[in-house]
Parts: sequence; C-alpha cells; structure tokens
Amino acid sequence: MITVEKIIREERFTGPSRSAPGLDREISALSFPAQSQGMVGLSFGEQHFIQGGIAQDLRSDGRKRLTYRPISIETGVIPQANGSARVKLGATDVIASVKAELGKPSPFQPDKGKVSIYVDCSPTAAPVFEGRGGDELSAELSTALQRCLLGGKSGTGAGIDLSSLSIVEGKICWDLYIDGLVVSSDGNLLDALGAAIKAALSNTGIPKVQVAASAPSDGQPEVDISDEEFLQFDTSGVPVIVTLTKVGRHYIVDATSEEESQMSSAISVSVNRQGRICGLTKRGGAGLDPSVILDMVSVTKHVSEQLMNKLDSEISAAEACEEES
Amino acid sequence: MAGKSGATPTTYSPSPTTQNKKRPPIFNDVDWVRSDARGFQQCRPAFLRTGAVNAASGSAYAEFGNTKVIVSVFGPRESKKAMMYSDVGRLNCNVSYTTFATPVRGQGSDNKEFSSILHKALEGAIILDSFPKTTVDVFALVLESGGSDLPVVISCASLALADAGIMMYDLVASVSVSCLGKNLVIDPISEEERYQDGSVMISCMPSRNEVTQLTVTGEWSTPKIHEAMELCLDACSKLGKIMRSCLKEATSALQE
Amino acid sequence: MKMGSANASSDLSSEVEVDAFRRLFPLRFHERHLLESIRPDARPLGKARDTTLALGAVASADGSALAKIGCTTMLAAIKMEIMTPTTESPDEGCIAIDFHMPPICSPIVRPGRPAEAAPVVSKQLSDTISSSGMINLKELSLVNGKAAWMAYLDIYCLDADGALFDAALLSAVAAFSHLQIPVVSLNDDGRIVVFSEENGGKLENEPVNKEKRKLKLSRIPFSLTCILHKNYILADPTAEEESIMETLVTVVLDSSFQLVSLYKPGGPVLAYTSAVQDCLALTRQRVKELQKILNEAISDMEVD
Repeated sequence: MITVEKIIREERFTGPSRSAPGLDREISALSFPAQSQGMVGLSFGEQHFIQGGIAQDLRSDGRKRLTYRPISIETGVIPQANGSARVKLGATDVIASVKAELGKPSPFQPDKGKVSIYVDCSPTAAPVFEGRGGDELSAELSTALQRCLLGGKSGTGAGIDLSSLSIVEGKICWDLYIDGLVVSSDGNLLDALGAAIKAALSNTGIPKVQVAASAPSDGQPEVDISDEEFLQFDTSGVPVIVTLTKVGRHYIVDATSEEESQMSSAISVSVNRQGRICGLTKRGGAGLDPSVILDMVSVTKHVSEQLMNKLDSEISAAEACEEES
Repeated sequence: MAGKSGATPTTYSPSPTTQNKKRPPIFNDVDWVRSDARGFQQCRPAFLRTGAVNAASGSAYAEFGNTKVIVSVFGPRESKKAMMYSDVGRLNCNVSYTTFATPVRGQGSDNKEFSSILHKALEGAIILDSFPKTTVDVFALVLESGGSDLPVVISCASLALADAGIMMYDLVASVSVSCLGKNLVIDPISEEERYQDGSVMISCMPSRNEVTQLTVTGEWSTPKIHEAMELCLDACSKLGKIMRSCLKEATSALQE
Repeated sequence: MKMGSANASSDLSSEVEVDAFRRLFPLRFHERHLLESIRPDARPLGKARDTTLALGAVASADGSALAKIGCTTMLAAIKMEIMTPTTESPDEGCIAIDFHMPPICSPIVRPGRPAEAAPVVSKQLSDTISSSGMINLKELSLVNGKAAWMAYLDIYCLDADGALFDAALLSAVAAFSHLQIPVVSLNDDGRIVVFSEENGGKLENEPVNKEKRKLKLSRIPFSLTCILHKNYILADPTAEEESIMETLVTVVLDSSFQLVSLYKPGGPVLAYTSAVQDCLALTRQRVKELQKILNEAISDMEVD
C-alpha cells in the first residue's frame, strides 16, 4: 500500500520526468529554485559555514558584519521619466523611476500632493518570482517603502515634502508615481530600493508651472507647463533605509540571499539626516527581545550615517557623470 | 435590487466627515481631554469572548470601544493542491472589513497589508512543527472600525488560535501608540489615528517578553521611541493577562 | 473491506460508537432519529431553534440588527446615502440589498472565492423585500426629482449553520425597524448634508425631512425553511441536516399570513400538495413566534 506521503516524497526525489504533461510545468517551476540558487537547498555544511563566518565577523564574501557590498549608482537611466536611477549592490540590481503628473489633491489634504510607491519584482530577478510568485514580495516591499518614506498620517517625518507638490490648493497638485523594479535579486532589496528612490528623486526635475491668473473660482484653473524650466526636487529630507538581519546572535547589514535564508528575523529602519527614525518594519517570524530591538535600532543609526554619506557622494558622482555624457 | 433594477446610481453620504479635514488644533496642545475621556496612557475597556463562531475550529470576538472584530480559525486542514510539500505547517491569514465598518460606506474588500502584518505577528508564536503538511487558516472580519483595528485583530486572532487548540509558545497581545504633537496616546480611536504624527505598533508574547511584530511610522527621536515601546509593552502584558483570564473562564464554563 | 454497502453498515451499526456512526453513515444516523420523531439536537421535527434578536448592534450604521437562529448568526446594517432619483420615478428612493458570506462564517468559504450560496440568498432577499411591499419607496424621497435616499442594506453571515435565508430575512426586517433616518437639509451647493443645530441653523437650510425619521413598515415578511425527506418535514434545518437531506422548501408569509413567496429549488423529493400545506402551517406558527420576538426586541430597544 502506498500512502499519500510516500507519493509526495517520491515526487520530490524523482522529479518531473514521469508526471502527467499538465503537471510537468508546475513541478519543474517549483523545483527550479532549489537547483539554480542553492538558497533553498543549502546543505547543513553550507549553513554552518555561513553562520560560523558571521559569528567570527568574517562573512563568506570576505566582508565584516557591518560592511556593505560595493554600491554603484547610475542616474538618468530612463529618459522618459522625470527622474530615474539604477543601483547595484553586489549582485542585487534595482531601478527606480519617478514620473510626475498633474492631478487633483485628495479632499482630506487639499494643500498637499500625492505620492504612490509601487515595486515590481521582475520574473527574471529570481526564479521564485515567476508567475505570481513575486506578488507577495512586491506588495510587502511597496508598503515597507511607503512606511519608510511617507511618514505619519499628518505628514511628519515624511522624506518627501508633500506640500511642496501643491500647485493650487484643493484644485491641482503634482502626483508623483515612484516605481521600483527589481532586475536581479541577491538579498537586501529594501535598502537597495530605498537608495535607488533617493537617487531617482535627486535626479528628478519637476517642470515649472504657470497658473493662469484669471482662473474661475469654481472650475479648474488653467495651467501652463514649462518645457525648459525645471525645479530641482529637494531630497535633503529623504531618509536611508538600513536593514539589520539577525543570524544567530549577531546582526549583519546588506545580507545576500544566502545569508537571508539563515536569518531568524530582520528589522528595517529608515533614518534621516538628523538621526531620527522615520519608519520601522520587522520581518521574519522569530520573536525578539525588546532590548535587542533597541540595540539594533541604535546600530542602524550608526550605520545609516556612513551609508548616507556614501550615497550622497555616489549620487553626486553619478550626476556629474551624466552631465558629461 | 428592490426598487429599481439595473445599474446602481451613484450615491454620496450626507454625513460631514468627508468635508471635515483640518486637524483640530487641540491635538497640538500639551494637555487636552480625549473624546472618550480616557487618560493618555489608558486603554479602552476590552471585551473578549472565545467560541463566537460555531462552524469554525476556533474563534474569538473582541470589542475595544467601537472596534469590533471576529476571528475564525479553520484547520489544521489540507493545504491547497498547488502547495509544495512542507514538513512544517503553513499559516494563512486574511483580514477583511464589512461595508459598514467605516463611517463612509466602503467596498468591504480584503486588506492585504493587514493580512500580511497579521501573518508576521502570529507565525513566530505558533509551533508550526506541530501540524506538518497542513494549513491553519486565520480569517478576521472587522465588523466595526473604531481605531487600533490591527492590534485588536492580532490579539483576537491569537485567542481564536488558542480556542482552536493550535499549539503556541504564548498568546500574542498587540497594542499601538499614536504620537499627537508632544503627547503619546495609547490605544488610539479612529479620530486620533487620522491626525496622528506617528505610530508605534507592537505585538508581543508577554510571558516570553518577545516582540513578534513591530511597525513604526512618522518621525521619532530615540528617547521618544523608547518611551513608546515601554508604554506598548506594559499595556501588552496587561492585555495578555486579560486574554488569559478569558481563556480560563471559557474552559471553566465548559467544565461546569 | 466494503464499507459503503448496505449490509456492512447494518452489521457495523451495532458496534461502532455514536460519533463514528454519525460520520460514516450520516443518513442512517438521521433516519434513526426521525423514526423516533426527534432530531439529533433533541428538537421535535416541526420546531425551530431558539431565536434571538438584538437591535442596534452596529454604531456606525443608521440601522442594524443581529439575528441568531440556533448557531446561525446574521448581522445586518443599513447605511443611508443620497442619490438622484430616476426620471421614471422621481418621487421614489431605492434599496440595495447585498448578502455576504465572509470566510469567517464557514469552512467551505475561502478568501477570494465567494460562496455559491451568497448571490442566491441575495437575490431571494431582494425579491422578497420588494414584493412584500413592506417598504413604500415613496417614503424615501427627499426632494422630488432631485434627491432621494438610497438604503444600502448589507447582511453578513457570521456563522453559517443552516437556514441562512430565514436568519438573513429576520435580520433584514429587524434592521429596517431599527432604522433611524438622519435629519438632513439642502445646502447652498445643492447637496444634501446632515442637519446639525450649530452650522445648519440658518433659515435657508431648514431640514427637509423633519417628520420622516422612521419608515412605516407594513406587511413585514417572515420565513421558515423546511426539509422534505421521505414523509418527514423538518423545520429550520441545521447545516448538517441540509447537507444530508437536500430537498428544501422555503415559505415566506407576511404578518397577516398572506403568501409572499414559496421556493422549492428542485431536490430529489417531489412534494405532494399536502406536504406543502404542512409547511405552510408550520410557517404560520413560526411567523407568530418571530413577530413576538421582533416586537420584544423593539420594545427592549425603546426601554434602553
């Protein structure tokens, strides 16, 4: 007699070769990540190696616990967008673009513009993103970025000053559409996306708008969008996002996907230039002691200063590079 | 439709909530009285009851002021066909609102963000190894939204899991704090949440003193965040006691 | 081992425990009870389960009610909004009824996959409430041709244990009897807004519906669902009974015992007229009970 469990086990070992044609594709898609990336199927030896390295402050790629992978930033990668940037963090590769459109402010906040952040995980970035696999992660990253960049309900702590997007109160404002695209995924997507959005925003020029003086009081006022004059977007308040991943008893920054597969939990903190916390998200199931969380928060604050300076110099270098070409 | 069939005409609500958008200046003051006359650091009275839904394996009803939620737990039951083999159990969470939960009639759709936070808040507390290959479904319905909806859903869900006999390390109690001007107010109502400068929500396992989920919005200085976390954790341990006594009452009522 | 055959079951039935027997041979389990004119929950065949009704359960709605028949629980709430009446009937408002089965109510409902029963009950409710003439839609008019009330009635099943339509209808009529229409006035922009003493006290913004705060409900419909199985009639079935014996008859009578509607959506049992008449008689009995429960709930509400 064959039990159900046994059939499932056999399916896993023998692979798709003898399955029905309809099932074939599904099973091969599911078993694919294990073969190609190794993160799902890390052997005990490999797991031990990663954890042991982290415990001794020497990670498998030679970094220390609080060292980032080399960051490279390229701005203006999408000519049609108002601003765009591509950030590479080791093998993690993301693109952010900013599109500004005229819109109507929400009746709840007539003196403010609107910002929407949406992240898409390209199916080519990782095999698990195929089909609808990336949807959940996309949604999670989008909400985490919104929480980190848009501040509280009343707008305090927002990295993007919404009132600077207002044109005529209650009538017209700028709507910023910030889109993130994960091109290649090797861990630490949130930090990379945060950096890409920061770079894209500093690359963003918003056209100057002339409002016709004789606008009727009740109807929509007429506006004239300038083709030549652009306003530089103020990004001094945009925070950076630092994710600390806890592996064993230690925390690391900028984890690769192999390292992420070993995490018990992680917290992502966005910190602005004043060293204030603008948003925090916890990931991973395992519980954390409150004192550990506070310790992690103070570590992220320390790391964020360095990251902020690094990003600023990279962004200005990228801008200079773009102007030359 | 009763009355006239065909396409439903466009309608609007006559209540003035949509027009009233300016933040009342009172919130900027140092001292003011909350609209339900609570102290800043006082939670609303909690009413908790298990076994609200007979058709479910376990369920709970929670009422904090005007916030009313029901959570049903189904399973452990067979995982969906498309799921891969898994030697630990799966947890599936869903949070939805009724159309009449909010002052302005809503669509009654699923709340994806809340569903995912609920999942993250609970998964660390459940002993998933105890039901391999199967799925536990946790479904929440917010009957009425009166503020702090998500923390109430999380606390209520952990009671429902206990009622269903799912093995857990500890109950999960959840509380949020809003920052309004200079003040921290605990367990905020909808109005306070609408104008808040920032919020901290903590879900924790009180007897293990472990935080399973933490979200922060708005701008916070380090001492302020310490204070807010302290407040939340304190309230969580009190809420945990109330939840425990609710479970005890339910079982002693059963024995009699 | 051939567990399913009739012989095996009769051999087994004397040995296995009650619970196992109930799961393995549900039909035989129930039929044994029916022979003794009793049901597994100790009810006589023609008796409905205990029924309770609470008005005003939802503070954010204009009218609401929670109805419980046995374990079946329904929460109904009405939200009043403003619409522009159609040109054919400029002096009438409208009622939109929706019945929801959220995933919390039953193990067979999953998120994203709505229950099959929900739209059916939704339609039945709409038809019953409109054809009973309980509500005069002219009462929902505010400004002739300009503005009228749209009453959104949403009914949520919180716990599904059979006889869903009966409980839903009871909660719906109770929500309507609890409905308190807000006082509104026409503002300068031609929109209807809620009237309040502080900002609407000006002369030109007199309330337009000062007298019409409550709907006059005439001929309130009540219903009873029965199962027909062989020669038995089981009133107010549970979910378990509905899943085993599939022929249902739902009779809707109004408060003066006039027939509003009668559903018998197929099923393996063909009913003789006498059986339908028996169902009608049971419903008459039930309507009296439900009327009493509704009146008590209303007077409880008024005392508070």
